[in-house]
Amino acid sequence: MTSTNHPHGRMACVSRRQMLILGGSAVTVVALPAGDVLAQVKKKGEPKPKPTLVKSAYEPKKIVPLAQIKPRKPIEFTYPNDDVTNILVKLGERAGAGVGADDDIVAFNTVCPHMGGPLGAEVYKPEHSVLGPCPLHLSTYDLTKHGMLLSGHSSDGLPQIVLEVRGADVYAVGVMGLIYGYDRNPITA
Amino acid sequence: MTIQSGPFEITSVPLPPKDAEVLTTACAYCTVACGYKVYRWPVGRSGGSKAAENALGVDFPTGAALQPWISPSQHNIARHKGRPHHVVVIPDYDAKVVNVGGNHSVRGGTLAQKVYNPNSPTRDRLLYPMIRVAGVLQPVSWDLATEVMAEVSKYVLSKYGEHAWGMKTYSYEYFENTYAISKLVNVSIGTPVYAPHDKPQNAEDAAGLDDAGINSFAASYEDWRDCEVAYLSGVDPYETKSILFTEWMMKGAKKMIFVTPHRTMGVAYGEQNGGLWLPVIPGSDTALHLALARIIIENKWQDQAFIDQWVANQWDVEAGYGRGTRNTRWQWRTTWGAFQSDWNDFQKWIMKEEAAELQNAAKITGLSPELIMKAAEMIAKPKADGTRPKTSFMLEKGNYWSNNYMNTATLATLGLLCGAGNRPGQVISRGGGHQRGGMGAGGGKGWLSPEKHPGRRKKALNVDRWVMDGNVRFFWTIGCTWFAAMLSSQELQTRVHELVRSNPHQPRNINKDHLIETYKKRVDTGGMVLVDSDIYPVEPLNTQIADIVLPAAGWGEADFTRCNSERRLRLYSAFNDAPGDAKPDWWAIAKFGQKMGFDGYDWKSSNDVFEESSRFSRGGVLSYHVLVTEAKKQGKKGHELLRELGTDGIQTPIRLVDGKMVGTKRLHDPVNKRGEIEGVTVDQKWLHSFDTHSGKAIMLKASWKFAGWIDFYEAVKPRKDKGEIWITNGRVNETWQSGFDDLRKPHLSKRWPWPWIIIHPDDAKAQGIESGDLVQAYNDEVFVQTGAPIGVLDKDLTFTELRKNGHIKVTTGQFTAVAIVSDEMRPGVALASFNYPGAPANSVCHAVPDPVSGNYRYKLGRGVLSKVGSSVYKTSLTEMSLKPRPII
Repeated sequence: MTSTNHPHGRMACVSRRQMLILGGSAVTVVALPAGDVLAQVKKKGEPKPKPTLVKSAYEPKKIVPLAQIKPRKPIEFTYPNDDVTNILVKLGERAGAGVGADDDIVAFNTVCPHMGGPLGAEVYKPEHSVLGPCPLHLSTYDLTKHGMLLSGHSSDGLPQIVLEVRGADVYAVGVMGLIYGYDRNPITA
Repeated sequence: MTIQSGPFEITSVPLPPKDAEVLTTACAYCTVACGYKVYRWPVGRSGGSKAAENALGVDFPTGAALQPWISPSQHNIARHKGRPHHVVVIPDYDAKVVNVGGNHSVRGGTLAQKVYNPNSPTRDRLLYPMIRVAGVLQPVSWDLATEVMAEVSKYVLSKYGEHAWGMKTYSYEYFENTYAISKLVNVSIGTPVYAPHDKPQNAEDAAGLDDAGINSFAASYEDWRDCEVAYLSGVDPYETKSILFTEWMMKGAKKMIFVTPHRTMGVAYGEQNGGLWLPVIPGSDTALHLALARIIIENKWQDQAFIDQWVANQWDVEAGYGRGTRNTRWQWRTTWGAFQSDWNDFQKWIMKEEAAELQNAAKITGLSPELIMKAAEMIAKPKADGTRPKTSFMLEKGNYWSNNYMNTATLATLGLLCGAGNRPGQVISRGGGHQRGGMGAGGGKGWLSPEKHPGRRKKALNVDRWVMDGNVRFFWTIGCTWFAAMLSSQELQTRVHELVRSNPHQPRNINKDHLIETYKKRVDTGGMVLVDSDIYPVEPLNTQIADIVLPAAGWGEADFTRCNSERRLRLYSAFNDAPGDAKPDWWAIAKFGQKMGFDGYDWKSSNDVFEESSRFSRGGVLSYHVLVTEAKKQGKKGHELLRELGTDGIQTPIRLVDGKMVGTKRLHDPVNKRGEIEGVTVDQKWLHSFDTHSGKAIMLKASWKFAGWIDFYEAVKPRKDKGEIWITNGRVNETWQSGFDDLRKPHLSKRWPWPWIIIHPDDAKAQGIESGDLVQAYNDEVFVQTGAPIGVLDKDLTFTELRKNGHIKVTTGQFTAVAIVSDEMRPGVALASFNYPGAPANSVCHAVPDPVSGNYRYKLGRGVLSKVGSSVYKTSLTEMSLKPRPII
């Protein structure tokens, strides 16, 4: 992760990369042209124009075919850009925002949101569905409850990568929570 | 405003612009008191992600660990001078002390969420003074509230005397407030009816340490880093003093010995690094200490050179009755030295003490003899090269709130045998609970207490009991939960409710004359008028019971000062407006004092109180008098000079050496040479030697079968025929504050939305309990001491004698919590969340004080567990993790 990935102003970057998709996912925002909003206010009582477009800051990324996911075997991947490392894992128990037939496939960022320690596959605890302890200060995270801090120090939970099953593949489609070290989650794929 | 209404919706934080104001403070919570910085700037703009564009001077993304960063929970929108401002509260990444490099806990890391914001769960802050009319609190003015309080107080004092007017307040919430409280209680009202938040009476926490001549806060954090072996009694600093553990204790090769029935994350780390877990049966620590002492002496592993130099011999002891020739508390409580010993005497005594024999101690403590032997070797056995391990001894609530006097006395002796007490890396000290913010105003009317130690010697008044017996007519609580923090909680709160709310004289309007008249009738019919000051609604103290409720301004809303557990003094800067009409407690005390017609309550600012209080700090371990006099010399305010010291602050007692302010790293250490202290400070023996008449530490002998302990312990043990187990109580990291601010912080309330109880699988299985089930803990025989018993003969305050003489009442107690079934507990011991709103785990504990020290045995609850049903958290995917803690 270096700031050189962001040579341009962030907002400029966002507007260039904004992608328009149909339907909703966990991080979509309803957006209407400003003029439409004003019109809606002024003409109260008239039928509301339907929101037609939904913007997402994140670009969907194919991570792995469903068939290749083995229970409790973490798969490493980057998202939403090449600097941000994550793991995807089939926990074997139902989890918040879990996908797949058993709602148990989840993905999380692997940087500890306390002080940036590494939380890779090597500290995944399959018997508890827990990630940690962080080698710096021993924080642990419950992967069944959206990366909730189980024990330790971070002032927010472990950022969760939002997954979707599309056909036979699992896609990353968004991020819940601010990734350590960023003031704004990166959006470039 | 950064609100997390769902899991992790926030994916950005505003950065402080270059011109953001920066103020320093320290954490509001645990005793470690990490340094923090507050960045404040008006709403409407933010800084940029380039280092040159933000006040942190950092490029975002930062790209590496341990860099300054702002998490979503570290930002909020506050009001400053009435205008909305961004505030970012982050650890001081430039810190060279305490939280070096910006380390922080989950408590301090979420400080910004404590800031009042009506769009957040802090919206329930108390905003106005209120008076209860027809059962419901109604807003009134400060003048009306304090005038009514003053008129009723004057009436009570003139008709019933000072014994009918009492207070119970925090002992730690900043020097300005505690000084004002002390001035009111001790000087102006002059009542013995006062107790701090955590005790039923106004006396020492760890009296055994005091009697050995050791100050409870003698150590510096670097001592916990520099020791090679840490013996941790009734404490896991990882859970309750996180930065002391992660920033100091995890540095350097170190073996940790944890004595606690709960295998926490700190314990798991300790075991992984060559340490030991000694899962003692609650209350049995003294037998463990005695056995360790005996093994050490039998093997000649004691630090003889240290003992020869620093431990009192018979002559030293007898020359001054051990602690001194004066008539002091030490003599009163120990019946003129019944516990005192010396090196020669102790060696003989320990060989005759049954409980010190390894097999006996193993039976009492529930530990294997091998484990006890291993611990003895680790703390005391000289290495192959003949050098000794540098061992330090830490104690906290599991130690001194289970067998108060004996556990502290025997731990002090064990530490002295190992050569600890006054050297780098070799200390005997409390880890600390709250920070150190108590300052007295001199005087004190403890001698008016009707209670007496054996021999009719002075003993502090047990305020709970005094209230329950109907002796108090006007009572004021400030910043505490009272019932849930004391014992037999439900009995206490039921009785207070009866005295206050069940009395027929209840106000029907807020006209001053009517209020005063009604309250006078109340007190004349045996009732009590109750005032409570706090920042939030406190269930049930001010929500259901108090007549008058006063809104307090707290951390970040007024300039305050306080020390941490290495006596480091810092300024806690005000950075946002207090909500509504909330005022600092010193202001409320001043307002009341003026209405009472007392002199000396005309402070205009927090600094005025600080400067007035400084001369009362002189001579104490928290002395800041030098700072205030130096500030005056420089034409500055005391607070301003302290502000210049930022998050470094200075360790008290502050001394003047060669015209410069000097802090004190460690107490009792001979490097603090005699004669350094001149002028505005006084020489104190405890600076450079132990706090005894001879300057040498006293070895104390406490027999396991001491009559003031053993009959009580036998009576409160779980009764197997009833299916009872020990139900002790404690804290874990993420809800250290027992659901106070915690429940107003989305990150923490999601983690612990409800009180918990951790149960071993064997105990859970017996009751069909699974993780996530709601469980009732019920004790059908809770002992409560009544009356104000007077000790004449030695045996008079023992449990058996009290019972015989009608001073023990039997009641019941229960609470309900969410089960976490995990083998992290010793079988037969469950741990419940302490002092959690609505679930007072202390209800199943016995309100019978240690007759030596007057403190309760808070951790010795018992009861039967039964399943109530499933909680919503059993299946929730967003709230309350039920996983075990020590996953490593």
